[in-house]
Amino acid sequence: MTAYRFVNSECLFEKGNRFMLTTAHVEILQALINRILPADDDPGGWEAGVGDYLFAQFERDLKSLLPLYEVGLAALDAEAQVGYGFGFVQISPSEQDALLTRVEVGAVAAVWAVDPIVFFRRVVNHCAEGYYSDPDNGGNKAAASWTMIGFEVTG
Amino acid sequence: MSTYDVMIVGSGGGGGVAAGVLSEAGKKVLLLERGRALSFAEVGRDHLRNQRFSEYGHNAGPDVIGNPRIYEDFAGEVIVPPNDGRYQANAASLGGGTQVFGAQAWRFMPQDFRMASTYGVPEGSSLADWCISFDDLAPYYERAEWEIGVCGDHARMTHLPAYAKPYPMPPIGVNLQGQTLRRGAQSLGWMTSPVPLLINSVDYGGRAACIHCQHCVGFACPVDAKNGTGNTVIARALATGNCTLVTEAMVERITVSESGRVTGVAYVLDGVRVEATAEVVIVSAGAIESARLLLNSASAREQSGLGNNHDQVGRHLQGHYYPGAVGLFPDAVQDNVGPGVTTATMQFNHGNDGIIGGGMLADEFVVLPIIFWKRKLPPDLPRWGAANKAFMRDNYLRVADVTGPVQEIPSPDARVTVNPQMRDSTGIPVAKLSGTTHPETVRTAAFMHERAREWLRASGAVKVWGTSPRLRLSAGQHQAGTCRMGDDPQSSVVDRWGRVHGHDNLFVMDASVHVTNGGFNPVLTIMALAFRAAEHLAETW
Repeated sequence: MTAYRFVNSECLFEKGNRFMLTTAHVEILQALINRILPADDDPGGWEAGVGDYLFAQFERDLKSLLPLYEVGLAALDAEAQVGYGFGFVQISPSEQDALLTRVEVGAVAAVWAVDPIVFFRRVVNHCAEGYYSDPDNGGNKAAASWTMIGFEVTG
Repeated sequence: MSTYDVMIVGSGGGGGVAAGVLSEAGKKVLLLERGRALSFAEVGRDHLRNQRFSEYGHNAGPDVIGNPRIYEDFAGEVIVPPNDGRYQANAASLGGGTQVFGAQAWRFMPQDFRMASTYGVPEGSSLADWCISFDDLAPYYERAEWEIGVCGDHARMTHLPAYAKPYPMPPIGVNLQGQTLRRGAQSLGWMTSPVPLLINSVDYGGRAACIHCQHCVGFACPVDAKNGTGNTVIARALATGNCTLVTEAMVERITVSESGRVTGVAYVLDGVRVEATAEVVIVSAGAIESARLLLNSASAREQSGLGNNHDQVGRHLQGHYYPGAVGLFPDAVQDNVGPGVTTATMQFNHGNDGIIGGGMLADEFVVLPIIFWKRKLPPDLPRWGAANKAFMRDNYLRVADVTGPVQEIPSPDARVTVNPQMRDSTGIPVAKLSGTTHPETVRTAAFMHERAREWLRASGAVKVWGTSPRLRLSAGQHQAGTCRMGDDPQSSVVDRWGRVHGHDNLFVMDASVHVTNGGFNPVLTIMALAFRAAEHLAETW
């Protein structure tokens, strides 16, 4: 079983697991989540707990997809390097959006070890699960997304 | 001397009713259920693992691990787990689907029992009339409505012959979505009625009334106001002292004597194989699992499965296409008042020019936010970013959803078989699903899809979307048809009383026996047929 610590927005997967998300991976993931679900008057994806949802799921239903994330996040970073000469977390939000718009349709310039379309579609779906599903799944802190859209649990 | 008078395999809408009727008739009953008896808390409210949205599993079974099926289409065979849509899962816990269902309690229409006479038989389909009529079933619909408990307004069911007796409870109040759609239907001149529900609108049966929560369909009721078999007929069966209930018992096969007469069943409990004998065996495991069990119970006399000497068991698998549409309104049309489904139109169940049959349309249950995101967003909306989030924020309460079951035109090639090479965790050969519905189903569904769009537009929607149906296998939670009822053993599996042709003590009591599946949710028909068949069995014993 994978062990990790989740402290101050850093997730460190400890040794013993072949695939690990490093601090660098987690920084890219955080930036990615916050473009898929950007902060506005309501919390962005990371603040709302999408990362916590994913980390819980990496030990559960998404265990087998951890390699996809590891490779996909690295490819995303490489894509930013090719396009902008900086890593994904260093480029501006509008540059991130432009880059993701290309990734979404597979128009990539870097070498991707995973299908960028599949990777991005999956991450988007997982982010929505973390943001809009019940807080017991680890995301949607304080049911913030439900308050945002007007879904009210009365009984 | 057998251990039990009756052994019933499955505790859903059919088996639960049979257990109640036969226990109260004084028969010694063994009720076997593969799933667990689940409390409200055990079913839980996991938005990613429930009977409405099973992305990562179910809250009421079957368990994701250890229960595969094989699905075959033009691309070949694939092994699918229960939370894959191609699996065609139904709940597997005490009460079958009836603890977590949406509880719509429809009577089929008289025409639904005479589809071939009414429309002719399209080439390649196995469309047929039932050997019983609406009138045969009407008293048992009434019995189900009163003994299980249905709320509704019988006077508004003008598409049906007059009711002898009203529903025992008044309809659930109409919410904002229902009010909006009723105005739209009125402007179109379409008939509507409150949706009859197996839900307490007032205290009934010693249990409380609905509190209008948002987690109805796919979940258990927090105040036990949803009327399934577990909290009604099975509770009554157990109260007689005549019924033994064993949960987590997976039936492997029906056992037979050397002459081929049914003697009982063999089942797996805690990994141990158990055999028990009974005078009568009733199979009520749902259309896929009931067929699987008969096919897995070959004997010297019936080498391709019990009741299957004419290659009928497992064929005509059908369910319901749900060709809904979604509409965006200028103002809020949702008020979070559950269950959510309040208003139906039966304007298009029959009498549609150039179309075979039709279906009922109704407003959708309260849609959970993640289901809304996954299934209800407009196709031209970006799937991520500020625009996606803004749409969710601005429009979750401004979207109404109309959908309903289409009466399917069955195909003999849509079928359940078994594959001895592939076994579940208990070592029992799994079901394989193959074939598709008949193309006429798709044409009817496309017609109903347009009616859903029309209804939303007339109700004030400024934008309407939804996907057109395509040809595929259909079964799902409304699975039916695999042990067809009929007078002719050449073309059916059971007789008009649910008795398997060629057997005096083997019965099927679930939606497997449906010849056609109506354009309505099938559970009240399943219950009514079981009341009728079990009563007849008790009276003629």
